Amino acid sequence: MKKSVKIMLFAALAATLTGCASGKSPESTKETNATNTTAAATAKSEETKAYTIGIAQFAEHGSLDNCREGFLKGLAEEGLEEGKNLTVLYENAQADGGTASQIVNNFLAKKTNLICAIATPMAQAAYSGAKKADIPVIFTAVTDPAAAALANEDGTPVGEITGTSDKLPVEKQLEMIRKILPDAKKIGILYSTSEVNSETAIKEYKAAAANYGFEIVEGPVTATADIPLAADSILEKVDCLNNLTDNTVVSSLPLILDKAGKKNIPVFGSEVEQVKIGCLAAMGLDYVDLGKQTGVMAAKVLKGEAKASELNFEVIKDAAFYGNSKVAETLGITLPKDMTDTAAEIFTDISKGTK
Amino acid sequence: MSIILGVLEEGLVYAIMALGVYITYKILDFPDLSVDGTFPLGGAVTVTLILAGFNPLATLFIAFAIGALAGCITGFIHVKLKVRDLLSGIIVMTALYSVNLRVAGKANVPFFNVNTIFENSLVNRLFPASLSSITVVIILALIVLIVKFILDQYLKTRSGYLLRAVGDNETLVTSLAKDRGMVKIVGLAIANGLASLAGSVYCQQKGFFEISMGTGTIVIGLANVIIGTKLFKRVGFVKSTTAVIIGSIIYKACVSFAIYLGMEASDLKLITSVLFLAILVLSNGREKKVKA
Repeated sequence: MKKSVKIMLFAALAATLTGCASGKSPESTKETNATNTTAAATAKSEETKAYTIGIAQFAEHGSLDNCREGFLKGLAEEGLEEGKNLTVLYENAQADGGTASQIVNNFLAKKTNLICAIATPMAQAAYSGAKKADIPVIFTAVTDPAAAALANEDGTPVGEITGTSDKLPVEKQLEMIRKILPDAKKIGILYSTSEVNSETAIKEYKAAAANYGFEIVEGPVTATADIPLAADSILEKVDCLNNLTDNTVVSSLPLILDKAGKKNIPVFGSEVEQVKIGCLAAMGLDYVDLGKQTGVMAAKVLKGEAKASELNFEVIKDAAFYGNSKVAETLGITLPKDMTDTAAEIFTDISKGTK
Repeated sequence: MSIILGVLEEGLVYAIMALGVYITYKILDFPDLSVDGTFPLGGAVTVTLILAGFNPLATLFIAFAIGALAGCITGFIHVKLKVRDLLSGIIVMTALYSVNLRVAGKANVPFFNVNTIFENSLVNRLFPASLSSITVVIILALIVLIVKFILDQYLKTRSGYLLRAVGDNETLVTSLAKDRGMVKIVGLAIANGLASLAGSVYCQQKGFFEISMGTGTIVIGLANVIIGTKLFKRVGFVKSTTAVIIGSIIYKACVSFAIYLGMEASDLKLITSVLFLAILVLSNGREKKVKA
């Protein structure tokens, strides 16, 4: 009896497999390619060699998507193009830790030449799984690799893992806010207590705020559902809001911008995507650039020019100014001319969506 | 091969938790949401203790005890303060989020290079390097079997029978001059102890604690229990506890299979649920045939 149950089960699985996989047949041919190259991944590279990489992204939002886009661009600059000599398997954990480790297991099973992990929890899951399998991991969008135990305190790798950090230029951001809002006193920051990156950033902001005559008002949230209430309450207390790269908060940014806009309170962002959708300004990162930098590192590892364990993690050196003149106009604020002149980009409209 | 090992690893870890959910949901008929909090509680306790230099094996027992304590609180709120079952679970689950943050200190605590139950000198001595890929599965299977064995034995004791009686017929327990409230509290304590134990094992295997790791635990637990018990409903010689363990492995196999298919990332959950549905419907169809 038990046997027949099993047979039924396998039949069900097989049915789904054939049903779903019929449109996906090219992948299986590429997979054989991948297994062949794995063994020789560290050996001298040839122009004709093809690679398979797995990109594991923790959650779905603009910044992280930009990272992935930039990563592929970075690889392409180094001559590794998707569809030509590069097969890219992409999975998204939808912010679920259990799925994250299963995605990594799946990449290990498919013997990808490299795993690219986007965001801290994903990078930890990837490192935890890949260290036994001897597959290099390249991470990006990890704010503090040392605190996440993905790098040593001095920046050297802890194993076959390296990547780029999206550490925020805190001092420069505070300096910018001071220039734009000379009379502001209190800066509110919404962040989720479940993200260790945000905690690190909050600490830095608190330490540096006094130098610029600011006081930081914290608005901790535990989940997306808390954000409306937390935003209402913090907006009563502050002169402006400042955004981190907090995944939970950034995902709800349109809502926060809407609430702040009604009270005529400016919101500052931390990267280009946030300014595009309605933050006043940011001294921030361009995640596409960050991704590109990461892609270049990955190419080095894939081609065997360097091992991941030989590369220290990198940070973006220069933060650039991004402003949104449309938002400034609505708020009745003029962005200082010396800043707009040197800006990396000034948006004149509020983007309604990213598609 | 490594994908099967991955499924076994994940499935076995969650099986420990599912055995707990089996007690509350199937035996006590109590939908206990506190496991969403006690699963990460076990993890938080574990990282804190291990980083403080405790023996990894000892942390398993401590995690179980602390989880059991949390379960007692859920039971106390329900039985003594007369709060509805669902709500008492929600209260404890919500409170535990803060407790977990306090215990762990941070939302994400890594501990990659320390001794755990999976990586220590004894394990390295016992298992030759050639077996290193299946070491984790062997250890997990061992833990799950021990837990299952103890639970099976317990359910045969006086206290175990009372536990089952409370779920089936509360009046009977009262007529035996036993306090059914106490029995419920004991059941919740065991269930949450197991969830916390699972959290401890999970963290030791993954090498980091993450505050969000508990989200959706109860959903996974219920799915495991239902898949397992449903599939083996008609198979007399398979114990319910065994069925739950197999159910958990099947659940994770579905998720893994959905990932393996390499569909669009956003469709992952949809594919997973279609697979569950297929399994449940198929097991239904079989039952009818048996009846006819």
